[in-house]
Amino acid sequence: MKTPSTVPLGLVFSALVASRLLISCTSIHEYLIHDHQLSSPLTSFLNLKEGIYLFNNGVDPYSGGVFRHSPLYLSLFTTILSPSRIIASLLWTLCDSIGAWSMVRIWRARNNIVQSSRDVLVAALYFLNPYLFLPSLAFSTSSIENAVSLLAIMFACERRTSASLLALAFLVQLSLSSVVLIVPIILLLITSPISQLVSPRPFSGKWTQSLGHVFELAIYVLVLTLASTLVSGDFLWISQTWGASLTLPDLTPNPGLWWYFFTEMFDHFRPFFLMVFSVHLLIYIAPICIKFQYDSLYATFLLVGVLGIFKAYLTLSDPGLFLSMISLFPEIYPYFRHPIVTSLLHLHATMLLPLFHRLWLTQGTGNANFFYASTLVFACANGAALVDCVWAGLRIAIGEQVDGYAVTQE
Amino acid sequence: MSASQEQETPLRDPASTFFQSDRVRRLIIASYWVVILLATPLWWHTTSIERLSLPTAQVQYQAKTLLSFPIAIRLDPSLVQDDPSITGKLQQFFDTKGGQWSGLSIHVEVGSEAGMLSWSAIRFVSHESSRLFEHPWHVFLPHLADILATLLVPYSSDPDREYRIAQYSPRFRLSFTLLNEDAAAGQVITGWDLTNAIRHHVDPIVTALSILHNFTIESQVQFHAPLAFKPQALDNESFGLTPEDLTVFINSAEWTLSSSSSNDPVLHFVLFVPSSVRKPLVILNPDGSLSHSNSFLIPQWGGVMIYNPSDDSSPHRYLSSADLDTLFPAFSNQLLALLGVPGLHADVRISPDDNSLLSDWQLDALLRRRAFENDQGAKDTLRSTVKLVDQIENMPVGQVVRDDVWDALSALKKMHFVSANSLVETMRLSADAATHASRAFFNPGMLALLYFPPEHKYAVYTPLFASAMIPLIAAALREFLAWRRQHQQVANT
Amino acid sequence: MLWRCCLVLIGALCTPVLSKHLSNEEFREQVSLQTLQDGRVASTFSFNILLKDATPREPRTLIFDDESQHYNLFPLALGQILREYAVTELHLTLNAGKWNYDSWGYPKERDVGTGAALWAWMADGGPTSIDYRWQGLRNALAGLFCASIGSLDEQRTTSPVLPFAPEGSLPDWGVEHELRHASLASEHVCTENLTPFLKLLPCKSLSGIASLLNPHRLFDADWHGMGLHVLWNPDAGVEVRLAFQLVSDPLRISAGKKQDWSFSTLFDRTIERTCPVAQSSIVDVALPREALYNISPEPPRIDQNVAFYDLTNMSEALDVKLKWALDFTYPLDPLKITSMPISVRRTLQGASQDRGQLSLVIKNNAPFPLQVLYLETMPWIVQFYLHTMRVSSDTSGDDFISNISYVPSVPHSRPATFQAVLTLPTESTVYLTIDVTKAFLRYTEHPPDAQRGWDLPPAIILPLSSSNAIRSEFVGRIYTPPLLVDLATPDFSMPYNVIVFSCSLIAFIFGNIFNLLTRKFVVVRLGSQQGTSKSKHD
Repeated sequence: MKTPSTVPLGLVFSALVASRLLISCTSIHEYLIHDHQLSSPLTSFLNLKEGIYLFNNGVDPYSGGVFRHSPLYLSLFTTILSPSRIIASLLWTLCDSIGAWSMVRIWRARNNIVQSSRDVLVAALYFLNPYLFLPSLAFSTSSIENAVSLLAIMFACERRTSASLLALAFLVQLSLSSVVLIVPIILLLITSPISQLVSPRPFSGKWTQSLGHVFELAIYVLVLTLASTLVSGDFLWISQTWGASLTLPDLTPNPGLWWYFFTEMFDHFRPFFLMVFSVHLLIYIAPICIKFQYDSLYATFLLVGVLGIFKAYLTLSDPGLFLSMISLFPEIYPYFRHPIVTSLLHLHATMLLPLFHRLWLTQGTGNANFFYASTLVFACANGAALVDCVWAGLRIAIGEQVDGYAVTQE
Repeated sequence: MSASQEQETPLRDPASTFFQSDRVRRLIIASYWVVILLATPLWWHTTSIERLSLPTAQVQYQAKTLLSFPIAIRLDPSLVQDDPSITGKLQQFFDTKGGQWSGLSIHVEVGSEAGMLSWSAIRFVSHESSRLFEHPWHVFLPHLADILATLLVPYSSDPDREYRIAQYSPRFRLSFTLLNEDAAAGQVITGWDLTNAIRHHVDPIVTALSILHNFTIESQVQFHAPLAFKPQALDNESFGLTPEDLTVFINSAEWTLSSSSSNDPVLHFVLFVPSSVRKPLVILNPDGSLSHSNSFLIPQWGGVMIYNPSDDSSPHRYLSSADLDTLFPAFSNQLLALLGVPGLHADVRISPDDNSLLSDWQLDALLRRRAFENDQGAKDTLRSTVKLVDQIENMPVGQVVRDDVWDALSALKKMHFVSANSLVETMRLSADAATHASRAFFNPGMLALLYFPPEHKYAVYTPLFASAMIPLIAAALREFLAWRRQHQQVANT
Repeated sequence: MLWRCCLVLIGALCTPVLSKHLSNEEFREQVSLQTLQDGRVASTFSFNILLKDATPREPRTLIFDDESQHYNLFPLALGQILREYAVTELHLTLNAGKWNYDSWGYPKERDVGTGAALWAWMADGGPTSIDYRWQGLRNALAGLFCASIGSLDEQRTTSPVLPFAPEGSLPDWGVEHELRHASLASEHVCTENLTPFLKLLPCKSLSGIASLLNPHRLFDADWHGMGLHVLWNPDAGVEVRLAFQLVSDPLRISAGKKQDWSFSTLFDRTIERTCPVAQSSIVDVALPREALYNISPEPPRIDQNVAFYDLTNMSEALDVKLKWALDFTYPLDPLKITSMPISVRRTLQGASQDRGQLSLVIKNNAPFPLQVLYLETMPWIVQFYLHTMRVSSDTSGDDFISNISYVPSVPHSRPATFQAVLTLPTESTVYLTIDVTKAFLRYTEHPPDAQRGWDLPPAIILPLSSSNAIRSEFVGRIYTPPLLVDLATPDFSMPYNVIVFSCSLIAFIFGNIFNLLTRKFVVVRLGSQQGTSKSKHD
């Protein structure tokens, strides 16, 4: 299948991987590894290393409060790999490459083509997105989670059911919030990834198929859970990893909306609002999947966007995945209402976040409200992007803009 | 709407798009509501204050139920033979009494020998072989009634005595303290043979009252126990304590008397040895004359005795058992008074073959008094608990509190049930009731949210719910109305 | 029924017979004064009360009523606490200031960690758990000493058995003894703690050596601390040692260059009366070794360059005076500066409020290699990254650290315990660093003066006696000064603002998406002349 036009992709891709690897071999990660915006307590490489160290020295890492990674990481880094600099550089570069390559494959599946001139752009947008690039340089395990979720979507697009469900099961193990993606990905498995945005029509898949998929996924999750329990020795890991994203025991700042809210929350209302914030994530699944039942890939994309705003322990790579995925849907671009505003908000937030974080914690000249305010701006930017994508995804069905007419909602 | 305009539109008709159909829209709105409804139990679970219901009606009912002891006074047939009207007169005398007598239902009857062993029977006999008490038989009725009064309700007569009595507790600590005012000033009492003194003077009381209280005994010696005031110097080289001095005698800031480790009430007995430069120390009457007593009682707290050792003794002295035998009777009297043991009427003598410390008369009267006290206390506490919980809506009521309230109530019920049969059991149950009731009242868990007013709650809930729920409710309402209109149109056509 | 009888029997055998007279209790008091290298004077008061032939209460007897406690000299308030919670061994220290090991040497009373520290050995097997009794003990002692010992909750409680081995003996009851240790570096020691302390003494501060304990002077000292130690010795009985230690600076008081001191200059008091019940009452003064001095009154006994005064037969008020012939010159000879086998420096580095680095520099001054036990008890607000631990030395070699034991901290509940054996080569310095992160607390967890920071308890270095040639007097816990950690604070006035801002933003995004998903699209024709005319497509 070697055709001349694939050469640029191969070249560009290898160039991107090589430069990515080169950069990660510099000492730049020392400046990034502590950054709260790039890695949360659930994804921090330092915490991972600490857990591995404790595990290797006979202390149950889940008995303390530092290590909140999945036991799968533990087994990966204590048996096959070691958490050294070089290994980490290679592994994270590999994850980025897998992510970018999956994006290309998703793009191809969506357009039902073997290759296109846009492949390079899609890969480059994943590689060069600073929201994805920086967390990866900081060895945040959220990069691995992104790669696994893209793998799950890619396999679903290519109708490789078992592979997709296995990737999904891994994803749930690594980050509990990803349960939000289960429904759209299963729907994607029984429908087609090809864009239907322009001509919406009722759901065409067979419902009965999905039951089998759910069952298969449940088995994978169960097996992985058992494996995790075997690795860690007891069930303590569940409350330390999954429990953490529900109860927020660590209030380390991140660009999300949870940490300051629960720092300032009255003790009596804490459980209630933890429940509200968790249920709030789930409330989007059904409406988005119903509305976009004719294009499950788009529904998946929107739910990735929801996670990128409202997830507990958010890092920059969560909204980063959403932003990079926009490149998969060029058909909606003409229908964005306020792309300039969204980009400016993002620009604004990306400048404020590191600045105010530094002013508050390192310089000591600012206070917590500074950083909190910038996380609000960041949430606004992500919210604006998500709302615009929902709008554009629906608006496209009505047709191109015509002078003298405006399409609006009543 | 005119069709011509539509044809001009180059855009697709939004109404024709699949996702614009009513079914999809209603499904979406319904799916929002399903999640919200599913989360409602969680909402309730995460915000509810544990507030179990308390048996208010039963508490109110118990509060109205009065404790009463039936007492049968059986007169010896020989007595009635002399004056047949005495039964009726006595009965009338008791029926007209109120106040302290209210808890006793007294029935005067002419007894036969067979029924005299019942615990509440009082045998009033005129001849010499009286088992309980004896009295010359040419007695006037008022005097007889008076004697019966001091035997049955000895507390009615003396409010001052009543005030001294320590509040009931199932456990007491008896703390004996030997205080040297200033050991370095010359003479020092280095210790005392307390074990023997307690065995002879305190243990009999402790044993006799063991059905009412458990006692823990402890003692200490202090060598520097300064007074907070200067006793007034008297003419005869002695020093006097005026009644005002006695009220401030206990210098709790300097003397470490209190027990910190348990919650049991403490009765203190202090043997105070004045400094050799301020000796002898005597107690003065209100009129300035010397009191013949060297001890005094502090109501509900304990007793103090002042001991002036003789000058000739060596600088280091140890109080032997014999020395303490002269001092401890005063402590045992104070202990009896603090615990509310009543005295006997002067005319009443315990029969010589009965060598126990307390007569059954005294013990029974004390048991009745304590039972009344506990019963009243338990009922008052229960009522206050219920009232408080009723008034403060945010007050959590946990399982522990509810169990305590129920236990108190059931103890009260059982107490009424057994009050006619066993005085000891009645007292025990009343004590149980009082303990449970006060434990429920003082449960620290009830304070948790006392200071979080409902206004704050609205301020916390409103920002999210007002703005997020209003569109949801509005959409649901609109859809419902639209659906009904459609339905009606279908019905009309 | 049989086992119950047996228990009663055991209880009866093990419980003390405390109700004998004075001969069963002994009180000894002593004060030692020592001139330190830097001209300061260390005074150590120690009051020993011995309850002969007594044993601690066995926890299994807690289900029965305790027998009567009759004491003549032993403080009843303390006896009650010890028996109520069945404590076998108890240590409480309340210190203020930083003990300067390098110029003051080892203190007479070894436990000089800043703030409050409490540790107790208790046996298991009682009707209530050890932790429950530990809590009761804390609260009871807090009440007795008016100190915030009650707040030494499970967030500060650890069990470092090795450095806090029992000083007395533990009775063999066939049940495990366990240690509970907690410390509070931010505790401020003052008069309100001294008053209850003095009340535990048979003669309070009214006669005997204790009459020197003048609060005005004690709390003016450069360093002061008090201690309560209860331990059991099978041959003697239950022993209570109450200790007070202070370091005063006569150079400061005299406003000159003379380091002369006397009781009246140090304490503003003299000993005027003896305590009549003290078995022995001794003042000892360490005499200068290489200086011309004059001590008055003439000491009745001098033994190994220490002057002893016995107060039991004192006829007149005692005011010991020590005068030097020459002015004080600060010793400049660096070799002479420290008499300590090791010097320790612990710091928390890093300016950031979210992370830092704990650094321990430990120098072996001795001409032979040393092994020390290093104990770090860290509240959960500072979390170790143990994998970043680096140990190095200025001499060659490795394996400076061994026998590491680590109990990680649990947020909101348990502190971390780090324990390791450090091997210090001859006359060398060992450096140990660990990266730490600082926790972010809920706004309700911050103290009222949140910006002040949190005091971290001192680390403890214990020279191990197994090292050859180490003198026995050098075996004692060395406490580093406490650290102050600066935690990031939220804005305490913000709760409602944050609720309003965050909720509004969430509701805005939520509402927008909801509207997009449920509202109908319409096409509107924009009017060219007279506004707009709508065209609905229903």
